[in-house]
Amino acid sequence: MNTFAALYPLLSIVVGALVVLLLEVFLKRKNRDYLAFISILFLLNAGRECIRVWNQGYTYFDGNLQLDNLALLLCLILTLATLLVILISMKYLRLQNVNFGEYYALLLFALSGMIIMVSSTDLLIIFLGLEVLSMSSYALAGLKIEDVRSTEAAVKYFLLGSFASAFLVFGLAFLYGAAHSLDIPAIVNFFRADTSLSLMALAGLGFVIIGFGFKIAWVPFHMWTPDVYEGSPTPVTAFFSVGPKVVGFAVLIRLFQLYWSESLNSQIVSSSLWVIAVLTMVAGNLLALRQRNVKRILAYSSIAHAGYLLVALLAEDNSGLVFYLFVYLFMNIGAFTAVIALSKKGTEYLDLENYKGIGFRYPWIGATLSVFLFSLAGFPPTGGFLAKFYIFASAVHEGFIWLVIIGVLASLISVYYYLRIVVYMYMHTATNDIEIDAYNPALFLVLFLCLYGVLQMGIFPGNVLIIIKQAVASLPIF
Amino acid sequence: MTELFLVFLINGLLGVVLVVVNKITGPKRTNPIKETPYECGSPYLQDRIYPIPIKYYMVAFLFLVFDVEVVFFYPWALIFKKIGSPALIFMFAYIAILGIGFVYAWKKGAFQWEK
Amino acid sequence: MIPPTYYLVVSIILFVLGIIGFFIKKDLITQFLSVEVMLNAANLAFITFAHSAGSLDGQIIVFFVITVAAAEAAIGLAIILLVYRKHKSIKTEDIHLMKG
Repeated sequence: MNTFAALYPLLSIVVGALVVLLLEVFLKRKNRDYLAFISILFLLNAGRECIRVWNQGYTYFDGNLQLDNLALLLCLILTLATLLVILISMKYLRLQNVNFGEYYALLLFALSGMIIMVSSTDLLIIFLGLEVLSMSSYALAGLKIEDVRSTEAAVKYFLLGSFASAFLVFGLAFLYGAAHSLDIPAIVNFFRADTSLSLMALAGLGFVIIGFGFKIAWVPFHMWTPDVYEGSPTPVTAFFSVGPKVVGFAVLIRLFQLYWSESLNSQIVSSSLWVIAVLTMVAGNLLALRQRNVKRILAYSSIAHAGYLLVALLAEDNSGLVFYLFVYLFMNIGAFTAVIALSKKGTEYLDLENYKGIGFRYPWIGATLSVFLFSLAGFPPTGGFLAKFYIFASAVHEGFIWLVIIGVLASLISVYYYLRIVVYMYMHTATNDIEIDAYNPALFLVLFLCLYGVLQMGIFPGNVLIIIKQAVASLPIF
Repeated sequence: MTELFLVFLINGLLGVVLVVVNKITGPKRTNPIKETPYECGSPYLQDRIYPIPIKYYMVAFLFLVFDVEVVFFYPWALIFKKIGSPALIFMFAYIAILGIGFVYAWKKGAFQWEK
Repeated sequence: MIPPTYYLVVSIILFVLGIIGFFIKKDLITQFLSVEVMLNAANLAFITFAHSAGSLDGQIIVFFVITVAAAEAAIGLAIILLVYRKHKSIKTEDIHLMKG
């Protein structure tokens, strides 16, 4: 149904961002927590709008904005992620001297870009949403102005990000030349109808995959990830590790609907994705082994997780993919929250050495961080285990035996570096005193929510799976 | 067409070959005066480019953004009569968002020439 | 009348030049300019395809890409300016605090 109501979730976010921006310049108050609360109000409103139009299938702008159930579910996931990030930012911004009201506006703008991306089927609109997300991200990465590392992260992210978007645009041009349209259904139909080898369309698709591969951080295109994750303010890193991955895979789910049958073109695409998946899982986990900085470890771990997600994409297990994204949101933001909690004014404790004895000094932080790390490594009874299990099971079902073997071996490697942090927290005695003053109700609320999410999805995933199945069913069937 | 192409090819190759041969076989003698920037033969006036005050950059950035946004007015004006009032509403929304950006830059002091 | 293939070849050459420039140049501004060249190569390809397909869509897309390029230029130059104020240099080899 073509109705203005389809715009409400997006409108709520954009208006929120503009209101925050105007309040920042007109009120000029020193304590900016009120801006965070205003943003949270707008986020909650957007979430309410998303739930209200569930199952309605609203569209607007001649079908260019399409709120099917998958889009709505992903909007909810992204809104939740932004909400958690805002909650963990408030104290951090004051402690680390990043006290800008624009921070919240930029987060909301980034969210609006992501919502545009998940709720459109036109690749041009998706590209524009991606750019809204990217521009806000470049600014967010460099927001810790006093820290040289943050500036460095911003410039690296900007250069490689804009390089990737140039690839994306060039790929779009070729896809447009081949299919005469940028609408995803039209492109899918073109690939299904065209059984011969179409070099132009393949080149276009390849460039588009490279462009998204940069944003998602698959392995040949991952060079920026560790540096950007290390340099950016930590809540922003948490945001980067979840948001772009969710939207990237959302777009790829729509683009790879059923792989356009058995044609030669789709064979080539799927075998190259196979190689990327193997590279990403293996290299991501191996490179993480020699890191000592916790943020860098988490950066490489997020690369490896992008590889597991790609396995789900290859196996056409869309509900498994969305479930994995959902679990990943909780466990990753949770882990970053624990990292943020271990900080004091002007200093963040990021080196592994600083984690010695944390488990006994700060039992609540240590325990939750351990749960999140177990979940990232894929131990039962956490959500991470079930998510990996679903993905690998459906991959075996689809005949990707070798891919699954490599994936399981790679996640065995990952156990080493996740557990190393736990070992440092519990098995080593503290050598130096770590003073933290980040006790903050918001942080503990987020830790609790993430813990709840990880355990709920690990032990009783039924309800969530029903909703995800409903959402995935809204994809068009060819 | 082919002849034209050949002419371009031969001339281009000739140019490349001559430059390369010159680079390889020519003698390389250098002295301090040769290394200095060339300014029409007269002694040069300043030895480097001095940084330009930051306020010029601010105005340049803002001009860049707002100047290019106007590009959408032309296609809009062409089809405005066909679409009617929704087109007007959306364009006003667009201008409002641009205006908020402008007000933000203004209040932030981007246009203050003298601090 | 020049056939559309020629425009396409020019566009591909521009794109490849952009990639080469991005990798061999060692200062941020030139690298950024290379990216702009790549974007304009894509614009040329869009216009060519739109022309040969006889539809206007491709030309409208170019408007959007131009806008995106301008926004990217604004934020990118601001970031590069920040780097210059921190490092007193915009050479890539001077920006190496984080490694590994």
